Amino acid sequence: MLIRKSERRPERARLFDAAADEASAKLDRRTFLKRSGVTAGALAAVGELALHSVRKAEAGPPPPVGATVTTRKNVCTHCSVGCSVIAKVANGVWIGQEPDYDSPINRGSHCCKGAAVRDDVLNERRLRYPVKLVNGQWTRISWEKAIDEIGDKLLDIRQKAGPDSVYWLGSAKFTNEAAYLNRKLAAFWGTNNSDHQARICHSTTVTGVANTWGYGAMTNSYNDIRNAKTILLMGGNPAEAHPVSLQHILEGKELNRANMIVVDPRMTRTAAHATEYVRVRPGTHIATIYGMLWHIFENGWEDKEFLAQRVYGLDEVRKQVAKWPPKEVERVTGLPEAQVKHVAELFAKQRPSTLIWAMGQTQFTTGTSNVRASCLLLLATGNMGLPGAGANIFRGHTNVQGATDLGLDVTSLPLYYGLAEEAWRHWCRVWEVDYDWMKSRFPDKKLMETPGIPSTRWFDATLLPKNQISQPNPVQAMFIMGHGVNTITRMPEAVKGIEKLELLVVCDPYPTAWSVLSERKNGTYLLPACTSFEMEGSRTNSNRSLQWGEKIVEPVFESKNDYDTMYLFARKFGFADLMFKNIKVENGAVSADDILREINRGGWSTGYCGQSPERLKAHMRNQHKFDLVTLRAPKDDPEVGGDYYGLPWPCWGTPEYRHPGTPILYNTNLPVKEGGGTFRARFGVERVVKRKVMENGQEVEREDHDNLLAEGSYSVGSEIKDGYPEFTLGVLKKLGWDKDLTAQERETIERINPADPDKVSWSTDLSGGIQRVAIEHGCSPYGNAKARMIAWNLPDPVPVHREPIYTPRPDLVADYPTLPDAKQFRVPNIGFSVQKAAVDRAISKQFPLILSSGRLVEYEGGGEETRSNRWLAELKQHMYVEINPADAAERGIVDGGWVWVTGAENSSRARMKAQVTERVGKGVAWMPFHFAGWYEGADLRAKYPTGADPIVLGESVNTLTTYGYDPATGMQEPKATLCQIRAA
Amino acid sequence: MTAFARIRFAALLLMLFGLATAPVLAQKLGPDGAPNPTASVTNQKTLLEQAPRTQGRIDIPDVKASVLMQPAGRTWDYFHEVLLHWGGAVVIVGMLAVLALAYLIMGRLRIEAGRSGQTIVRFKAFERFAHWLTAVSFVLLGLTGLNITFGKVLLRPLVGPDLFSDISQIAKYVHNFTSFAFVAGLVLITVLFFRDNLFKQVDIDWVKQGGGFIKSKHAPAGRFNLGEKMVYWLSVAAGLLVSASGFVLLFPFYGTNIADMQIAQVAHAVIAILFIALILGHIYIGTLGMEGAFEAMGTGEVDINWAREHHDRWLAEKLEAEGRQASATPAE
Amino acid sequence: MARMKFLCDADRCIDCNACVTACKNENEVPWGINRRRVVTINDGKPGERSVSMACMHCTDAPCASVCPVKCIYPTEDGIVLHDKDLCIGCGYCFYACPFGAPQYPQVGNFGSRGKMDKCTYCAGGGGPEAPGSAEEYAKYGSNRFGEGKLPMCAEMCSTKSLLAGDGDIIAQIYEERVEKRGYGSGAWGWTTAYHEDVKS
Repeated sequence: MLIRKSERRPERARLFDAAADEASAKLDRRTFLKRSGVTAGALAAVGELALHSVRKAEAGPPPPVGATVTTRKNVCTHCSVGCSVIAKVANGVWIGQEPDYDSPINRGSHCCKGAAVRDDVLNERRLRYPVKLVNGQWTRISWEKAIDEIGDKLLDIRQKAGPDSVYWLGSAKFTNEAAYLNRKLAAFWGTNNSDHQARICHSTTVTGVANTWGYGAMTNSYNDIRNAKTILLMGGNPAEAHPVSLQHILEGKELNRANMIVVDPRMTRTAAHATEYVRVRPGTHIATIYGMLWHIFENGWEDKEFLAQRVYGLDEVRKQVAKWPPKEVERVTGLPEAQVKHVAELFAKQRPSTLIWAMGQTQFTTGTSNVRASCLLLLATGNMGLPGAGANIFRGHTNVQGATDLGLDVTSLPLYYGLAEEAWRHWCRVWEVDYDWMKSRFPDKKLMETPGIPSTRWFDATLLPKNQISQPNPVQAMFIMGHGVNTITRMPEAVKGIEKLELLVVCDPYPTAWSVLSERKNGTYLLPACTSFEMEGSRTNSNRSLQWGEKIVEPVFESKNDYDTMYLFARKFGFADLMFKNIKVENGAVSADDILREINRGGWSTGYCGQSPERLKAHMRNQHKFDLVTLRAPKDDPEVGGDYYGLPWPCWGTPEYRHPGTPILYNTNLPVKEGGGTFRARFGVERVVKRKVMENGQEVEREDHDNLLAEGSYSVGSEIKDGYPEFTLGVLKKLGWDKDLTAQERETIERINPADPDKVSWSTDLSGGIQRVAIEHGCSPYGNAKARMIAWNLPDPVPVHREPIYTPRPDLVADYPTLPDAKQFRVPNIGFSVQKAAVDRAISKQFPLILSSGRLVEYEGGGEETRSNRWLAELKQHMYVEINPADAAERGIVDGGWVWVTGAENSSRARMKAQVTERVGKGVAWMPFHFAGWYEGADLRAKYPTGADPIVLGESVNTLTTYGYDPATGMQEPKATLCQIRAA
Repeated sequence: MTAFARIRFAALLLMLFGLATAPVLAQKLGPDGAPNPTASVTNQKTLLEQAPRTQGRIDIPDVKASVLMQPAGRTWDYFHEVLLHWGGAVVIVGMLAVLALAYLIMGRLRIEAGRSGQTIVRFKAFERFAHWLTAVSFVLLGLTGLNITFGKVLLRPLVGPDLFSDISQIAKYVHNFTSFAFVAGLVLITVLFFRDNLFKQVDIDWVKQGGGFIKSKHAPAGRFNLGEKMVYWLSVAAGLLVSASGFVLLFPFYGTNIADMQIAQVAHAVIAILFIALILGHIYIGTLGMEGAFEAMGTGEVDINWAREHHDRWLAEKLEAEGRQASATPAE
Repeated sequence: MARMKFLCDADRCIDCNACVTACKNENEVPWGINRRRVVTINDGKPGERSVSMACMHCTDAPCASVCPVKCIYPTEDGIVLHDKDLCIGCGYCFYACPFGAPQYPQVGNFGSRGKMDKCTYCAGGGGPEAPGSAEEYAKYGSNRFGEGKLPMCAEMCSTKSLLAGDGDIIAQIYEERVEKRGYGSGAWGWTTAYHEDVKS
């Protein structure tokens, strides 16, 4: 055993006791209760942080004498990897964290954020009680008064301007249950203006990927990357954005001696561990992919069998790829032929290969096309539906996958049902509300079925004249729950938007930059929300696994959890009883379990139906039983036998059906019942195309009926040995399988559509019977189709390279212009005009540096929470811009010196420090996007409510970012714009 | 003095170690000409061979934290625990031995003519203040400084670790704050006695006449003889260096790096030890070694006979200036 | 008797700083004191490597040797602990430390240092406080070691880059890794800290 002490004698002759220590300890020795008490102005500035000898920890281990220590498990809230957090709690105080070695996802590991989450809860800088602006002064009010005043104002706006003038901006940090509730609240309110961070992170992925093979999510898992032979990262820096995923990536790289190729404008921390680093110009992803495909097709490296059986539209892609010979690729991307060819060869031949991406592909005007191009590469090389392969799309926030799934999206109700009447009727059946009542909540049926305004455009929808906005009135109130303002581009215009709003409500653990950016004097409310650590609920990580989080401690200060807050507003609006019809509310406390059960009852389309709270809690109890690589538990386990960890969706059927979840999407090597699948038959069974063909020397137009179903490919155990459409009662009847339905199931189906029960499908059947029967016959409920290389419903059916709106290469705009101006999502998208004006005015001469932005490991999102965390904030104390030594030398800029960065729109400017580094290439500047609290050189610290200012403030990169929206999703373009830098 | 040579060697070594350069990077390219970051990595051993101090980028504002490794710390440890201990002990004990020997052989140097009973002002009050300010602070600094190096060997076993820590803690503060008094004194001394310590022709004669140590000869001197001038100049130089290095240590890492700090500490320690040895000699000659010398700084007045024997030219000038005749008769 | 050591596999380290905040969280280390830190060599260039560094708990620890009040000493497990009651904040251990581990809270004006603080290997302090006591926690932080646990930094390392535990075992783990993957930039600081090296 450890012998720690020196030979100290008991009698101690001293001149004085360690008096200095005592004095400073007393100064800091406040009990946690006292600290959590509502005392204003705890720590005003960094300079006041105790720097004395040893600081007595009020809340650290060991626990107070006699206290019992309990451990509770929750999930880190800082990225989509989903690391389990074990909290030690004594006397209701979170006294420490422990590594959770049982979790197959993180095996005890954390990044700096996960290792510091305790201070997210203990933080003294959290908003302590509701406040409102009264003539420019933050004034404390009670929750009751806040709900009353805000509710009255919202109802007033609804009355005067219609429900669409209130914007419900939700959060990727919601639990699944809160996200679902938020979408439901917007529906009951009567608007589709309900969005969240996915808009600015992976909206283009969801749209692009779902339009290719059915579902818009990561196809494999972090753990499965251990199986890859070639790991290609294009547009992602997981070492900083998803650090724990590197555990799987690097171990995979080491054990398989895998190729790890990083294609990125920056030599990132991820690239430092690559076996090959390829530096590209931001915004040239499609050109790069086509460059690779050119070599693949040229050399016949494509997977011909896979393409023939499971892919539709190859010919159109070949035509497009033919336009990208190596010379053209080099002209546009700057990449030499040898590099493109080498990467293509590795990816095509050293299989299984996986393609990993994040915001580096999505945050462009071509975002949807970018991810579609990535899908084409995966399909062409047959790297889909296999362990070690697939599109490993790393989502951003903890629950951005879940919040997207649960419909915090202007285009859909929960679980991708869309907004069509059928979708509304489905959810009205689940909610047990009358469809006509629901319809009456909206101004008209058309608006009920029209996508809302994306979060990227909320200020345009506020500022633009009424006649340019396709809804009755502009946005007049923003109700924000857990979303930053500084992560959205064009901040100078957002500032004007904030000022024009009649009502601004921010419900967040922190005041956020919303509270300080404008000159608002009234009509602004801040409501303290608790963190997800202070509430129950499930979260869906990037690989579609759901994890249940336990409440670690009661909400601190006066903060409330999201469920209870939304319940209070629903009650104020008068529809609480209807909205919470099947959700237990006890003394104002909403049951998260009941919300999940309601999701289960309606979540058939995406397989959110099998993950009951009981099953999820059993998974958290039995984490150690799941395999590190396959994520599967042994079949003989009584509680979780045969399950994949977190029941990754689709988890078919009712919870009682005990589907194990689907760890790898579209994997035909496993029976559907064991987590296998096929490509989804989402776009019909055939496509009618008119083609011009030569017949007898004459060009004639021929009508082709292209088969969209798989040919000769099916999942193991399928009784249909070919492609098949999605299942309905009618299809079951044709196959003679309808007799397998139980009487109860048949009765439910007939109740859903009494007029034509044959039309009731796998996704609207509330009994789960159709799914069950299909799966019992080895079939995917959603059918077995081909993946679409051509997505005819998108603006660019086959991806086309288009230059960023603000491009450093105006010479290429003539060949590769952005799409024409059009009205999208109720607002105009004038990208084409902006791009043309930028070229005409030679903006790239005035602003010669490409400005890109991204993530730091220490901070997350808008950064309000992490910049307030005393352990994280210390690590990055300044906003900075990365600049290449050559560019810095030209401008007389030194490492660590202050600079002014100017942007191409709004005469915007920002003051920050320079980091002179070869990480960025010449001509490229890069900034982290987590900072706020400075605006165009002015420090706004004094404008925060007292004591609630984050420790670290700084300029936001989005002060400088510019116009540019993906036509398919409204995604912004913060990854490629222009700027100029000079020494300050 | 091999110990000194070794110290110098160690200091030189440290200076060399201080020269950390950016590690040389041999970038390896893949078959297609793209960099292979994994293969480009240099082994840490090679990095240390290229530059003994490995430094990189760190995001916290603490610049010194950017030094990842500096094996020179172990060299400094060797200097501090071996060279300095033994060297310091040899120098100081050696000096004490030399002085003891001098006392044994020569005894106390008497005023040959005996005291005259007449005195003359040698140091004005302000000059004495300057001297004693420096002297007292020097003694405090010396003792507290020696405690840092030798206390754990000499004092700690006697008083025990706790009391020793308390003493050392106080000693540290005493050392830090007394330094300002010492510098003030040093500046005063330097200015006040500057003119009289410039080297003159008479200093050569003084040497030729055996510097007063040969009883048969009379060594002529002005206000200060060459021996005193040497003490003056060495003290000024040592004081300057010890103060400069001391302030570097007192304000650690204010524009300095770890190598600078190590060099400053080595310089401070070496010079301080030599300085102490020098001042030990000074103290000996000013008290035990010579009759009548202490009064100069004690009361400020010296016996005219003493002055005549040791500072004849100064006495002459002084008397002339005062316009009085000195009596040669003894006091009795 | 096991000899506790740290080994940072730089080919795994991604500069995520988990070790840094895990340390801060577990030991409630105040702002400005960095018991552990991550330094990146060749930043932004191919060949870049990040290394997590703290007290290496050296063999023949130079800090212990130079300490004028002998407040630093190794335990039988090779963990280098110190007694803050004895420390006088002289700063010598920083000059001697090859790894920049000792930290000093600033007290008073100019460079005046408070009592030294450094990584304790999450093994509490070297003072007279009872192991696992609140007094020990207040001065030194957590005593995981007494509960049979390893330092939090290594336990929470995102990529299992930072290894802690019996020196022979972690050296073996590292050697196996190097053999499997075919590369390794070495056990950073081992020759200086422990007078020995591992194969790489």
